[in-house]
Amino acid sequence: MKPIDFTRTVILLILLCSLGPQLAAQEAADAGTAATIRALEKEWTLAQSRNDNGALDLIFDNALVYLEYGKLVSKGDYLSRVRQNPPELDQVANGPMTVRLFGSTAIVEGTYMEKQLHSSHSQIKRWRFIDTWVYKKSGWVLVAAGASPITK
Amino acid sequence: MWKWTCFMLMVFIGLRPLCAQDAADPALRSKIIALERVQKIQAVEAKDMKTLESMLDDAFQYVGPDGRLQSKADFMAFVHEADWLQYRLDALDVRVHQNTVIVTGLYQIKGVKRVKRLLNTGRFADTWLLKDGKWVLIASLFTPEP
Repeated sequence: MKPIDFTRTVILLILLCSLGPQLAAQEAADAGTAATIRALEKEWTLAQSRNDNGALDLIFDNALVYLEYGKLVSKGDYLSRVRQNPPELDQVANGPMTVRLFGSTAIVEGTYMEKQLHSSHSQIKRWRFIDTWVYKKSGWVLVAAGASPITK
Repeated sequence: MWKWTCFMLMVFIGLRPLCAQDAADPALRSKIIALERVQKIQAVEAKDMKTLESMLDDAFQYVGPDGRLQSKADFMAFVHEADWLQYRLDALDVRVHQNTVIVTGLYQIKGVKRVKRLLNTGRFADTWLLKDGKWVLIASLFTPEP
């Protein structure tokens, strides 16, 4: 019996030693990916506030679908709208967000506040969004995004 | 002759994945539309908790038309507690990104929950993921009409 226990213990130790660094490496990789996705979300907000369509073009997948207030907006429509708006007319402030990783797919959920500046007054709206990112040849790209106004 | 055979074999092997991809796309689209139109609608309307349990990923997140965030448990509780629900989908669009599929379309939800009538229309976006050989819903967003 003793040799079997010894063998088991050795195998268990080897497994623990080999799995430990792998698990740690996986966690570090996931944290790195989540940080990349958060940075891209910030980059999106910045690029939009500067009407930087070149940056938005890199962030958005060509087949992007964007949902806003019951409307379906394509990448072309979105970029055209950003181009037409004067810079920083609408101010967007990101709230907390969570990133969930599913291999080469990431789901980001969060909130943002939008201050719409009109000629005579300003209006603040709060939205909750869900964004879907997919890792492709060029890196992480946004394939779907949508927001609902927070009313409750 | 041997070189020619090897060359043709390599061309055939190289082209196969492309043909499979072309053939798989319509089939995949049909499968996803069936999951949306048949499985999801029937599970919600019939309060089929077992189907919902297997269809929704454990990390499923749902943002409703009121902007509230719900988990898988919250969503299942909403379906379970409703007196009745009628769910309609229209104008579905399916976009495939490797092992992830985005479905958008129009929705209408009618129902009654604790004597309170529910009626909501708008547009939705679902994110499906191929996980362990099975398509599961990982995120869903409903936006109301303005």
